[in-house]
Amino acid sequence: MQRYADVFAAVAPFLLQGFLETLWLSLLGVVWGSLLGTVLGVVRGQQFRGFSAAIGAYLHLLRGTPFLVQLYIAYFVLPNTGVSWLKWNSQTAAIVSLGIYTSSYVTEIVSSAIRAIPRGQWEASFAVGLTTIQTLRLVILPQSVALVLPSLGGVYVNLIKATSIVSVVGIAELTRQAEIAILRFPASVLYIYGLVALLYFLFCFPVLMVVDELERRSRAKGAGNGNAEAGASR
Amino acid sequence: MLDQILAGIVSIYNYRIVAQYVDEFMRGGANTIMAAAASLALSIALGFLVALTRLYGSRILTAAMWNYTQIIRSTPLLIQIYIVYFGLPLLIPPAGKWPEIVLGIIALTIHTTPYMAEIIRSGIVSVPRGQREGAIALGLSPAQQYRLVILPQAFAKTLPPLLGQAAILVKDTSLLSLITVFDILSAGMLLNSERIKPNEGFLSVAIIYLLIYLVLLVLSRAAQRRLAGGVAGGRAA
Repeated sequence: MQRYADVFAAVAPFLLQGFLETLWLSLLGVVWGSLLGTVLGVVRGQQFRGFSAAIGAYLHLLRGTPFLVQLYIAYFVLPNTGVSWLKWNSQTAAIVSLGIYTSSYVTEIVSSAIRAIPRGQWEASFAVGLTTIQTLRLVILPQSVALVLPSLGGVYVNLIKATSIVSVVGIAELTRQAEIAILRFPASVLYIYGLVALLYFLFCFPVLMVVDELERRSRAKGAGNGNAEAGASR
Repeated sequence: MLDQILAGIVSIYNYRIVAQYVDEFMRGGANTIMAAAASLALSIALGFLVALTRLYGSRILTAAMWNYTQIIRSTPLLIQIYIVYFGLPLLIPPAGKWPEIVLGIIALTIHTTPYMAEIIRSGIVSVPRGQREGAIALGLSPAQQYRLVILPQAFAKTLPPLLGQAAILVKDTSLLSLITVFDILSAGMLLNSERIKPNEGFLSVAIIYLLIYLVLLVLSRAAQRRLAGGVAGGRAA
């Protein structure tokens, strides 16, 4: 028991520091991943033919390859192109690849939320003389937010979990700090990974519970509408 | 003209170097597919048991399965892999002599089972109550109800999300390279470290993963189309 307490006292500050780095990475990733994803999602929601195909290809590229491979491409392949502004350090490569990874999910969520807004909303907006941009800003996007929020919570949890992978390019986030701590206390491998898992759990679990509750509510609402419609058609 | 284009391609992606590593990529690909297929089969089997437990199990068992699901969902796969890789040999000493890929398959199975259970559970729940009641009225035993009535219908609803989960599983196997399993990604890293050619190494890896993904995507689309046709036919009837 004493041994556990000693190891805990020795590694806790570093794990906490790593946890803060994990939160910081995930915050940066979610901010710029959401920005990129929202822009792509809005464009995709408009159904311009050329753009939609290009964005579809982008999504398939991201969804068809593991995040670890995307990270290695950002870290090893892009600096090798010889373009000076692509010569990233590990920090930049990690944040860029986390953001791009996030954008693939956000794009899908935003574009389907925009498509879920009834056509009549667009037609009414045009009828009162709004431009396309104004319609998006004043009518469509405010209504989409409620549809998007629960799914975005899930994306955020995915992102936090993905940050553990950037430990392999040497970012000192939670998982990397655990590996360093294990070098100091090789006999406590399981204990240290257990502590790390607990930290991830304490952060992700409440978010997932909120997401589940929001999804249950929106599904209950949707099911209610569906039944009403089915009843009407009969 | 053609020579120039070829020279241009070779300067970015020298396929001749990749050709020298075909054996390594084949070996890595075989390991990736083996790890994915084994964990897929195991997690479907265990996921089915977990789904049944969540539907019909006692309260304690149901709560245990819920806890298991939430723990897996709330922690990164990489940590789960490390815990199995370092922890299992402490728990069962002979596991220390098992090949890394076996430990990797165990970790991936533990990770994927709750997701499979959720897919299978919602497939079973989606079969209308009347089907089960009809089966009972015909005097089928519970096993027969499942085998002849519920599972065939649940399977149709389950197949597309199941293929999606299989695609995620294939991508997840890439993390096994970090516990020294020689998979596709390890083959690419070997090329990169021996020749210092990141383009050839990692782009080849990405292309192979994309090909596997496209195969699964086509299968999933085909399944969806056939099953959607079935549903529409049912409605028309």
